[in-house]
Amino acid sequence: MTTVDRGLDAAPPAARGDHPAARPPTGPARRQRRRRGGFTPYALLTPAIIVLGVIVGWPLVQLIVTSFQEFGRAQVFGAPPEWVWFENYADVLTDPVFWAVLVRTILFAGVCVITTMVLGTLIAVMMTRLNKGFRLLLTIGMLLAWAMPPLTSTVVWGWMFDTDYGVINNVLVNAFGLDEYFQHSWLIEPLSFFLVAGVIIVWGAIPFVAFTLYAGLTQVPDEVLEAAQLDGAGGFKRFRLIVFPYLKPIFLITAILQIIWDLKVFTQIFALQDIGGIRALTNTLGVYIYQTSIAGGDFGHGGAIAVITAVLLMSISIYYVRQVTKEEEL
Amino acid sequence: MRKLGIVALGAAAALTLAGCAGGGTGGGSDEGAEIRVWLVGTDTPDEAREYLVETFEEEHPGSTLVIEEQSWDGLVDRLTTSLSGSDSPDVVEVGNTQASAFTSAGAFLDLTEHYEDLGGDDLLPGFVEAGSYDGKFYAAPLYSGARLVFYKKDALAAAGLSVPTTLDEYIANGEALAAANPGKSGIWWPGQDWYNALPYIWENGGEIAVPEGDTWDAQLSSDESIAGLEQVQQVMTNASRAPKDGQETSPEVGFCDGTTLQLSAPSWVKWSILAPADAEAPGCPDQEANLGVYALPGKDGGAAQVFAGGSNIGVSAKSKHPELAVDALKIILSDEFQTIYGKGGLVPAKLSLADTLGTDEVAQAIAAAAGNAKLTPASPKWADVEAAGILQDLFVNIAQGGDVAALAATADEEIEAILNS
Amino acid sequence: MSAVIAPGQKIGGIAVAGGRAARSRRTGGGRRRLTTWLLSALSVVLFALFVFPVYWMVNTSLQPNNEIRGSELHFWPDNFTLRNYDTVLFDPGRTPFFPALGNSLVVTLLTVVIALAFAFLAAVAVTRFRFASRRTFIITILVVQMIPGEAMIVSVFRVIDGWHLLNTIVGLTIVYVATVLPFTIWTLRGFVNGVPVELEEAAMIDGCSRSSAFWRVTFPLLAPGLIATGVFGFLQAWNEFVMALVLNARPESMTLPVWLRTFLVANGTTNWAGVMAGSTLMAIPVIIFFLIVQGRMTSGLVSGAVKG
Repeated sequence: MTTVDRGLDAAPPAARGDHPAARPPTGPARRQRRRRGGFTPYALLTPAIIVLGVIVGWPLVQLIVTSFQEFGRAQVFGAPPEWVWFENYADVLTDPVFWAVLVRTILFAGVCVITTMVLGTLIAVMMTRLNKGFRLLLTIGMLLAWAMPPLTSTVVWGWMFDTDYGVINNVLVNAFGLDEYFQHSWLIEPLSFFLVAGVIIVWGAIPFVAFTLYAGLTQVPDEVLEAAQLDGAGGFKRFRLIVFPYLKPIFLITAILQIIWDLKVFTQIFALQDIGGIRALTNTLGVYIYQTSIAGGDFGHGGAIAVITAVLLMSISIYYVRQVTKEEEL
Repeated sequence: MRKLGIVALGAAAALTLAGCAGGGTGGGSDEGAEIRVWLVGTDTPDEAREYLVETFEEEHPGSTLVIEEQSWDGLVDRLTTSLSGSDSPDVVEVGNTQASAFTSAGAFLDLTEHYEDLGGDDLLPGFVEAGSYDGKFYAAPLYSGARLVFYKKDALAAAGLSVPTTLDEYIANGEALAAANPGKSGIWWPGQDWYNALPYIWENGGEIAVPEGDTWDAQLSSDESIAGLEQVQQVMTNASRAPKDGQETSPEVGFCDGTTLQLSAPSWVKWSILAPADAEAPGCPDQEANLGVYALPGKDGGAAQVFAGGSNIGVSAKSKHPELAVDALKIILSDEFQTIYGKGGLVPAKLSLADTLGTDEVAQAIAAAAGNAKLTPASPKWADVEAAGILQDLFVNIAQGGDVAALAATADEEIEAILNS
Repeated sequence: MSAVIAPGQKIGGIAVAGGRAARSRRTGGGRRRLTTWLLSALSVVLFALFVFPVYWMVNTSLQPNNEIRGSELHFWPDNFTLRNYDTVLFDPGRTPFFPALGNSLVVTLLTVVIALAFAFLAAVAVTRFRFASRRTFIITILVVQMIPGEAMIVSVFRVIDGWHLLNTIVGLTIVYVATVLPFTIWTLRGFVNGVPVELEEAAMIDGCSRSSAFWRVTFPLLAPGLIATGVFGFLQAWNEFVMALVLNARPESMTLPVWLRTFLVANGTTNWAGVMAGSTLMAIPVIIFFLIVQGRMTSGLVSGAVKG
């Protein structure tokens, strides 16, 4: 099930580079030697396989089976399901609503990922150039944002954007004299809804990206940076040509995790819909699957949508999977 | 014919049941049992809850009854899973429009045999129908809510208006109030509140959906419905200052701070308005004398056809103690329990208790509204239409001044897609 | 993301090298000082942006509900009250907070401990041994993370129901362990990979058995990895709410997110002060946890990250 939602933005929050940990770099080509263990590796894997098999594997099989059936609420209560084979898939793939949700999800995730990565990188770079006190201040601020559970932060932002009594409308009207924001509803226009959702998501995701990239930056050898400076390269160019290659693997992995999380976003959208907005125009894939299956009682179509989504996510991350498998000499 | 059948069935089953109870197998396992009752929202007064717990535990020493309050939001989702599990609640309340989703799925225990014990033909007929499926009786009526119009007497008087007698007059009044009081709602109407829109459709001769052979034909884009929806838009844009995408929760807030001059809401909202000023959900008891109430007028006078919101209550098919659960249900449908609803401004589940509403202005308005109440399409899939939020979305869009005809056509498609799936 | 900094992952050609990113390279100059000043100012602004919602949450929760509905903003709780907390915590008419807190703590801690143990074993298996289905296992672990969890709710519900574990801590913990495992295995794998086998072998030459070499040499080096991975498990288990909503619907078996949502939905958007008090209560344990773990995690991490 992997509800890898925003919540698990954990990551070892980056090392502050203050700890000296000098070691000579070893060659990039170092590989772990593995031995044949006979029965041992299987024994070690058993607990994980059992848990995953029962809680992920079996439901996954059921999900796929269900996606080929007409499976409604009556079936949940025990009526025998009817096989419809690819009908659910055909329905879903020809349903403009599904495509709208899909496009919306991809666009939204794309914007969120790009914004998060850009801002996260900038903040990480900035952190390397701050003096200690200010860096600590920023670290504390980001830690607080990071520690906020997604449900909580959605609720809080929802309150800040509240139509009648929200601080944002109030400030816009009273401090900036923008009267059109008096009782302005931020959630009613889908675009504006996603602006708010995006702010919530990016706000919560930046700390992870910034911390991680900052940890990576502290590992870039000084000589490299200094060499770059001597050559007279400008700031951005220096970063792109010399620093970025060091960061690239971290950057890539962080970006792919952001992509997966943002494509699967659930909590923030679901909770924000509780607060306001038009459900049909603000559903993303995760929420749409929930609406179709659990709320709508149509598990057949819900299953088909889920399978399609999973295939889509896999094809997006295939690059990552291939990189990893290559590297590991699998 | 059907009723005769039910009675006969009931008699036969009563015999079997009696036999069982004597058998002694059930007695032991029901000892010390816990009956879980799911009540939804805050409509059921505390007094009724206490009465239920006390009476049940008195009648069944050793057993306990626990009331777990659920929210209307996401109720269908939760019932779908909870009722199908082995740890199912025993007695559950469900919205009358949602009932058939579960009666048709086999989620509820067949109560046909208890029909007479629970009140028989004295039960609200529309709700009995909502709780029946395939000739069997699964979910009893719990209560019916009536929607009333609450208004500030002084505001209406100041604008030189009087209580309207037709729907058109009501709309005109709302607009006039809003015009005379800039920034205030002549009729407070948050966009998501679709229940309040139904009378406009019905009064203009429209329908949500009508059965056509085996399928449903959604009617929101019929000329009659469009006429109603346009009126809705008129009120929402001209008379209401409520958030266009807001929910109908806590209408007392605007009423008490003076920004709402008039609103249509369930009858119990009266108690929210009159709640003590220092309560957690503060009301404004000082407005009591200024609080007027009437039933929404119809197009041609009289009471409008309003939505007969309300609840049914059934026993989960998975209940481990079905007999105790049915006993609890009997207490819930007893005159004593139902009278508490009546006093609280809700229409009790039994016709014979209608007079418990009292004889004041509110009671008369309730009686008038309830007399002309109407239901949503009687399809097991209707609950899914509600769960998908199609109507909420439709009216939010309408409140924003969207193109009514186009929106209605889209909504029709979506409704048909669900009802006919 | 140890995937990120885990030693196994080479960082661009140079396996993670040591050395602090020295800030000493800044060598004064007026323009530099101006930049530093601007950056410092910017960091204060950013700090405010990150902290403001948290502050606003606490601020709102400390004001009377009718106060915050006024047209006047209170940037400081001048009418300080703990009443919202009192209602949230002790009002008998509500779903009680403390059992939910207890459930959340127990489920989360159990999840973290069990998931770490299982994932550790699995990580050792895939990094230290060669076996037939190794590749399949790793790919499965990756792929599983792509499946939207919402779709499998009902199937999972039935499995848990089949064992009569609905509304129990055990049932929810099992589900969370499975939820957290793929990522945890993946992450730990990187850390285990980063500890050179040579170290173990060296220890063995010194007379340790293979397993005691592992426990005495490799395991301590993994501590930062375990902490970092544990944070993930903690956050995920603590924040998850769709599964909990369905599996633990009874008030006494609810977890905090479900409790908070129940509170939010029941109060509509009208008792914002109460909702903010609830939100604050839910966020506090995570913040405390972060403060405790942060120091250890960072110091451990750097040392863990250089063994590339």
